[in-house]
Amino acid sequence: MADKAILYDSSKCTACKGCQVACKCWNDLPSPTGKNENVFSGSYQNPPDINGITRMIITLEEHDAPEGSLKPVAWAFNRRSCKHCADAGCVRVCPSGALSHDEETGFVRLERSKCIGCQYCSSACPFDVPRYEESGPLSQRTTVEKCTGCLDRVAEGMAPACVSTCQPNALRFGDRDEMIALAHERVAYLKERGFSDACVYGETEMGGLHVISVLKYGVEKHGEVVSPKMSPTVAMQEVMKPVTAIGTGLTVAGLAAMFALGVGYKRRTLAYNPDTQDTIDVNTGEVVKHGDGQDELSVKEHILENLPLGKGGRHE
Amino acid sequence: MSNAAVSVSAEEAALNQAFLEERKERGTRYIQRHSRQARVTHGITVISCILLCISGLFVFVPALAQAIGADAVFAIRMSHRVLGLVFVIVPLVSAIAAPKGVKHIFKNLFDTWDSDDKKWMILFFPYLFMAKWIHMPDQREVKSGQRFADGMLWLFGAEMGITGILLLLQATVVDFGATAHGVFIFLHDVGFLMIAVFGLAHIFLGGGIFQPYRGTWRLMFGNGKVSESDALYHWGHWAREEIASGEHVTEEK
Repeated sequence: MADKAILYDSSKCTACKGCQVACKCWNDLPSPTGKNENVFSGSYQNPPDINGITRMIITLEEHDAPEGSLKPVAWAFNRRSCKHCADAGCVRVCPSGALSHDEETGFVRLERSKCIGCQYCSSACPFDVPRYEESGPLSQRTTVEKCTGCLDRVAEGMAPACVSTCQPNALRFGDRDEMIALAHERVAYLKERGFSDACVYGETEMGGLHVISVLKYGVEKHGEVVSPKMSPTVAMQEVMKPVTAIGTGLTVAGLAAMFALGVGYKRRTLAYNPDTQDTIDVNTGEVVKHGDGQDELSVKEHILENLPLGKGGRHE
Repeated sequence: MSNAAVSVSAEEAALNQAFLEERKERGTRYIQRHSRQARVTHGITVISCILLCISGLFVFVPALAQAIGADAVFAIRMSHRVLGLVFVIVPLVSAIAAPKGVKHIFKNLFDTWDSDDKKWMILFFPYLFMAKWIHMPDQREVKSGQRFADGMLWLFGAEMGITGILLLLQATVVDFGATAHGVFIFLHDVGFLMIAVFGLAHIFLGGGIFQPYRGTWRLMFGNGKVSESDALYHWGHWAREEIASGEHVTEEK
């Protein structure tokens, strides 16, 4: 199967949030419904951001309308959720295998049952997407939550829930190449209509996203991340695993060699007579040092002094 | 000290002979090297450090995490947090209870290096592989190499404690941001490598696995005493000073 993608066209989106509701419904995600449980954020954007029980939202960036416009406000909508990067930092740092690439679609698969709650993925995502559902009496157990691309639906030949509910056709689903071609067509159309900043987002970012966006007013105005980059800490974390394995392995090998070479080691029993200031070999009565002065031999003499080079060495 | 015998006058030799005879009667001399508090603190820290390394491996090595499953790893991660608190709090409490001891440790760690110290450090690596043949220069209370290795363990132990607490805060109550979080994880990983390398070497030497260090485990896990002969071999300058003062010296048959 060719890589799949969701196409989001901000120029068609009405921010009805039907997609948000469809996502909640299909994925059985709860919503706070009690009195005053949803605090007004001062925006139509609701909830204010994705969270441990909300995998996607439509964002509403508010801008001054161009001069001469009948409406005082220009809204730049966007679909905020996992972008399903081809080069996904979250997949690279996840130690438990909870995040992985789906070979069929290229989406970033989430298996919540495998999540150990380390939250490493949150440090690796340039889009600040991974969120955590808390559980346990002290909220001590956290489990990652993010868009799954509705892989369960896709496997049955259906589109993701958000796509299937979109009335104005702002969300489409299909082969990634086809979605990119549609996006370019749409951007060309928008540019003809005077939206000079309109652009395709996701074609090359992070190795290619599996959510392709048509951003009518340009990347920044839609609140999208300009030139997202993999955090350097991802590579740093990755390199530490082999480095630690090699470092520890070499240490163990070195210590084993030291032990092997030390087999048969013996040394004499020493005693110190403070009256004469002599350090004495207890068994032979030989004085091995008088006083407590600094050593007078050179490093070379120390190394060669007792080497068994013909005459045979002695152990201290 | 060198292997060569030192010639002494007949009178001095006679005195030494009498000393050895008397010593036979009185038994072996021991020097008290570590206090009970130091040994208990060291013991708790060592055990928590080893358990922290093992429990940390289940997050650090993906194959281990995936082999035992999320629930087991979650339990191990929670134990890692508790052990981490023990690793941080016990030495701090001990330090507060014995500030003079802390001063003594750090005075030794940052002591100036004399000629014997420098020579000992240069000879250390050849010695590890040629202990049968190389005789090391005498040392004061803490060997130069020991100062370096202990310093590394102190440094990276502290680094692990600090980054561990920052990671715990990040996971619970404070958001330091994705980059800072990644940096904490990286530093924690670096600390793990350094603790693994210096910790293994410390166990090999301090635990007496290395033949010339046989019996040294008793210094921290026994009664804290070192025999006169071992003390003269490992810390010659310090041993002579202690034996001459007699303050921490006991005799046991």
